[in-house]
Amino acid sequence: MIDIEKIEHLAALELKEGEKEKIQKDIEEIIHYFEILKEVDTNGIEPYIYMKGAHLFLRKDQVKKGLDREDLKKNRILSQNKFYKVKRIMGE
Amino acid sequence: MDITELSISQLVKNIKSGEISVKEVMKSYIENINKKESKIKAFIHLDIDNALKKAEELDRMREKNGVLFGVPFAVKDNINVLNTETTAGSKILKGYISPYDATAVEKVKKENAIIIGKTNMDEFAMGSSTENSAFFPTHNPVNVEYVPGGSSGGSAAAVKSKEVLAALGSDTGGSVREPASFCGIVGLKPTYGLVSRYGLIAFSSSLDQIGPLARNVEDAAVLLNVIAGFDSRDETSVNIEKKDYTALLGKEIKGKKIGIIKEITDFDLQQEIKSALNKTVDTLNKLQAEVIEVSIPHLKYALPVYYIIAPSEASANLARFDGVRYGLIREGNNLKETYQLTRTEGFGEEVKRRILIGTFALSSGYYDAYYLKASKVRRIIANEFENAFKKVDALLLPTTATTAFKIGEKKSPLEMYATDIFTIPVNLAGLPAISIPSGNDKKGLPIGMQLIGKWFKEEELLQIAYSIENGG
Repeated sequence: MIDIEKIEHLAALELKEGEKEKIQKDIEEIIHYFEILKEVDTNGIEPYIYMKGAHLFLRKDQVKKGLDREDLKKNRILSQNKFYKVKRIMGE
Repeated sequence: MDITELSISQLVKNIKSGEISVKEVMKSYIENINKKESKIKAFIHLDIDNALKKAEELDRMREKNGVLFGVPFAVKDNINVLNTETTAGSKILKGYISPYDATAVEKVKKENAIIIGKTNMDEFAMGSSTENSAFFPTHNPVNVEYVPGGSSGGSAAAVKSKEVLAALGSDTGGSVREPASFCGIVGLKPTYGLVSRYGLIAFSSSLDQIGPLARNVEDAAVLLNVIAGFDSRDETSVNIEKKDYTALLGKEIKGKKIGIIKEITDFDLQQEIKSALNKTVDTLNKLQAEVIEVSIPHLKYALPVYYIIAPSEASANLARFDGVRYGLIREGNNLKETYQLTRTEGFGEEVKRRILIGTFALSSGYYDAYYLKASKVRRIIANEFENAFKKVDALLLPTTATTAFKIGEKKSPLEMYATDIFTIPVNLAGLPAISIPSGNDKKGLPIGMQLIGKWFKEEELLQIAYSIENGG
């Protein structure tokens, strides 16, 4: 059994009753299916994280125009002072 | 002449020679939209007025530049188009207006294509049928009782029903190729790193790739010419020489070696798909290509590997949807509560399921057993492909094991996940692959054949696909 509440908390989700049982059951079934990977011997194998041909690069240190503030403002949450407005997080 | 029957190069040639106007083109396509869209539901947003205005603008231009000049075009709704609503098929992004163009969109616009709308998709590209859209399902134009595939189901349906000439989709585990196969069109997933992901809403960053959906192989090659190329705004973009992907189309494939994956016989294939595969082998023999058997012994592990890696990356990528910067917001008593309320209401069931699976696979105590293990098996699979490509120029296999299924038919998540069994290995290895139409089954539903190419050898992949398309 997975600790669904702990996972919900980590993912900043709060499943509704009814939804919770179904999703937990699905997830347990899916995770059970992952067990098949135990058959594979991965001793000495490096994880595949960086794709073939890809290598990280640095951009030139140049001043470039960023996104237009007027365009950004169409998404209501950018306040007049160029900051994002959030609920108070200190002093609770 | 039926304008909507013309290929990209034919259409653009006719416009440039003055034989037809862009407005006439647009009107022909709008006629199809008016006739079909209410049944197909390919689009989340359609802007016909703007498309007509743009058509008139192009007609007034003295210099008619661009290889997509006047081409009616659609873009999947997880790709940013400046000043349009981009929702990725999710309620959580309802109301989000893109403040910029994705690189691929910028390139398509530069060639003077006309973007008439944003297409429906499974929410955040998580699905294989477009039924997971938060808004409505899209219907397969071949038979509206069936799904068009997914997650780029809206793009595939719009191209098939001739509501547009071509479209962009994104492919994380088959999301361009599977709907192309289900709808009977061509879908191309380029090599990882060839097309910039800048402006594509990230699902699984090591797997996502933007690709074209088109009527035929030539159109797909023309589109790849437009969208491929290095972009410093995508840190996984690969800087390789610019190529002409149409250059080898029509050149004979005599002597090319095509591999059939032995392990395919371990899977349950629909009878007509087996026959279509055999027929394609006959075509290759006729074209004097050499068909040989190769082995990818760990093929069957691709599905569990994918369903660990993709949700893990998604759980990180989708953390940004918290109600603070854009889209939906549900205010709680404090910030954490605002996050929770917004995300719980904004995400659909499948997205929540995958975020939770990914969060679990990355969580302390489970990371090694799931995410790390999957990443290692991923390398084994990629190595097996690399070995296979020492012997062959391309691999041939069906795109899917069955043709399209009915809307509402697949019930459990695992049942739905299994749809992508033949497309997923390609993304895990970062390879390019194309799905081309290969006849119909008894019910009249399209069958798709998939060709997998070598890394960054799209010109050769397209050459072989073109020969099969025209040599049968």
